[in-house]
Amino acid sequence: MITAGIDIGVEHIKVIILKDRQIAGRAKGSSGGADRGGMVEQAYQAALRDAGATRADVVKIAATGKGKHNAAIADVLISEQVAAAKAARFLYPGATCVVSAGADEIMAAVLGEKNRINEYTFNQKCAAGLGLFLESMARRLGMSLEDMSRLGAPKEAAVNEGCVVMAELDALSLLNHGVSREEVGGAVISAAAVRAASVIHDITKPAKDCVVLVGGLARNAAFVRALKAISGIEFLIPGEAEYAGALGAALPVAETA
Amino acid sequence: MKEGQVWETRPLEFWAKAKELRASWQASAGDEARVVGQGSTYSVDWAECFPALNVVEDNPGGSMIQAKDSPFARKCRLASEIRGWGREICGYTNNLWGSMFLGYEQDGRPFPLRQFVIPMGAECDQHTKRGQQCRDFSPVPQWMEDHCIYFGEDDPERDVPIIEHNDYCQLRQINDIERIFGQKFNDEKLSDMIKASEIIVEYARDIQVLIGTTKPAPLSAKDLYSVYTIGHLTKVDPQETVNFWKMVRDEVEWRAKNHIAALGTERFRWIEAHPPSWHFLKYYRYMEKYGAVCVGSQYLQQNCELLEYKPDGGIDRRAAPKYPADTPIKTREDAIRVMVGPDARTPRAWKSDEYIRRDSIVEFAKIMQADGALLPLWRSGVGCTLTRKEQAMRLRNELGLSVIYYEGSQPGDRTDLDELRFLDHLDTWMESLGFEKLED
Repeated sequence: MITAGIDIGVEHIKVIILKDRQIAGRAKGSSGGADRGGMVEQAYQAALRDAGATRADVVKIAATGKGKHNAAIADVLISEQVAAAKAARFLYPGATCVVSAGADEIMAAVLGEKNRINEYTFNQKCAAGLGLFLESMARRLGMSLEDMSRLGAPKEAAVNEGCVVMAELDALSLLNHGVSREEVGGAVISAAAVRAASVIHDITKPAKDCVVLVGGLARNAAFVRALKAISGIEFLIPGEAEYAGALGAALPVAETA
Repeated sequence: MKEGQVWETRPLEFWAKAKELRASWQASAGDEARVVGQGSTYSVDWAECFPALNVVEDNPGGSMIQAKDSPFARKCRLASEIRGWGREICGYTNNLWGSMFLGYEQDGRPFPLRQFVIPMGAECDQHTKRGQQCRDFSPVPQWMEDHCIYFGEDDPERDVPIIEHNDYCQLRQINDIERIFGQKFNDEKLSDMIKASEIIVEYARDIQVLIGTTKPAPLSAKDLYSVYTIGHLTKVDPQETVNFWKMVRDEVEWRAKNHIAALGTERFRWIEAHPPSWHFLKYYRYMEKYGAVCVGSQYLQQNCELLEYKPDGGIDRRAAPKYPADTPIKTREDAIRVMVGPDARTPRAWKSDEYIRRDSIVEFAKIMQADGALLPLWRSGVGCTLTRKEQAMRLRNELGLSVIYYEGSQPGDRTDLDELRFLDHLDTWMESLGFEKLED
């Protein structure tokens, strides 16, 4: 049986094709801004090709992510937190907590029995500490995200971790004072990690073991290093970290289809 | 029958009377022949005893602006913001100030500039500024009402001078308004209002017990919000108000006895702490799609003042210092003394005492047999977010309840409330607990 999960984030669309609960194909595309519907279709087609499947083979499609309401082809909509939790337990059956760090939201959830979520929390509405912030700052610093990912911890520089606008002003001020862009970039990464750690510590009993980290930011090595240092957590990061939302959406429909 | 419906549900019969009382108040509020004053919500309960006095209050005035006319509310807040008042100011206050700065109300009538102001030192952060801005704008005389309270253990010795001072503030204001504006105060009406208030509180207590102890809940918070201002904020005729609340109590009692549900699909009961976003009440109906019903909030039911959860699981009246019901009221001083009450810690409630608030929500959750809690993170006004996280921890750790938050500026300010994000989180909350929508 073939099912599909589509994670429509504010920056990227990720699609997973499951065949008998195993990943058979995947694809990624830009979120498309106003033309999300069209971009969803393109990414879906690419994932089908990757899986060697046709549209008619797919029994059910589930969508998640902030843009899930734009997925006209979806049969089922699944919330992002539930999708992340499903993926974490599928990839690591012993997982006790999942942290999803994406372009516009950081979420931490404590997993309970029967794949239930015992508690979850998420960032307040500010881009500080999120993927969008890092992308924006990378442009400011004339670096790519890959460059940012290779940065080390800053020696002295620090930027505001509570407000993305203030952080940007701090970064520009540091540059004006002759601080190297690598040092400023490290400070930006560090601020993002502080913000993410504050979300994790906002749940009542933050787990220190079996914590799965998913989402686009899980691919940023500098961010992960900084988050580990601040939170004291040795994260489990799956190869499918970026596709976890899509995987988590496809799983429940595979169970019920 | 709807999918998942277990209990019978019926329209509320007191609804028509509630609308009638509301319309009556609305008509009286437009009487421009009156002297206009500004007071805070809780300080001028005696204002109705001046027949030719019209008190324009930030609440409910400011919340009504947001609830009824969002573009006008935005215009008001902008008018306030360009004068330097930021979004950390209560949205109610900003809305009404903005209307004052613009010079007209949402229906286009000229804004009723005040002839005096009585701000109150509310615990609700910046409300003391309410009067200050109005006073400076008009400009008009101001009476500052002290509302002295203290936290901690009861201290009868400390009570005496504090209560004396609170009594004095009320008396001074009434006497001065009589003297300066030539208004006649109706002492008999004040006595009637105090007696009516005692009776209404008992009805409110009964209603809360019925909602809390009965499954399915015979009345939801959504229903109660629709009528809870009648008699208090709207200040209709005392006897008519008593009659109305008796009607509500009797109907709720009948519904409880006959298992008539507020929500026929009830399978999840949740509580709140503070007022909802008045422009976005649809989330109550949205949750009903999951069979989830809001059974109350500390704001709505002010549980600390009314009920106590006993160790044996029973619910009882909370013992609080109070004058006996038959205390004679012969003079204005007597009436004020009874109205102010014998307890300087009063109101020992959700809003005034941050220490009590953390404990009280746990007690409230037990009384209401809640399965979860939805707590707001407001940036200003109505108690802000102080103790909110502590409340959640207590609910989770002590009762094992599921708790989530939503964030916004303030119930009267929609600026920072992301409605779609809010609904998304409600979906997540329900899905994470294993619930699916019964209808879409």
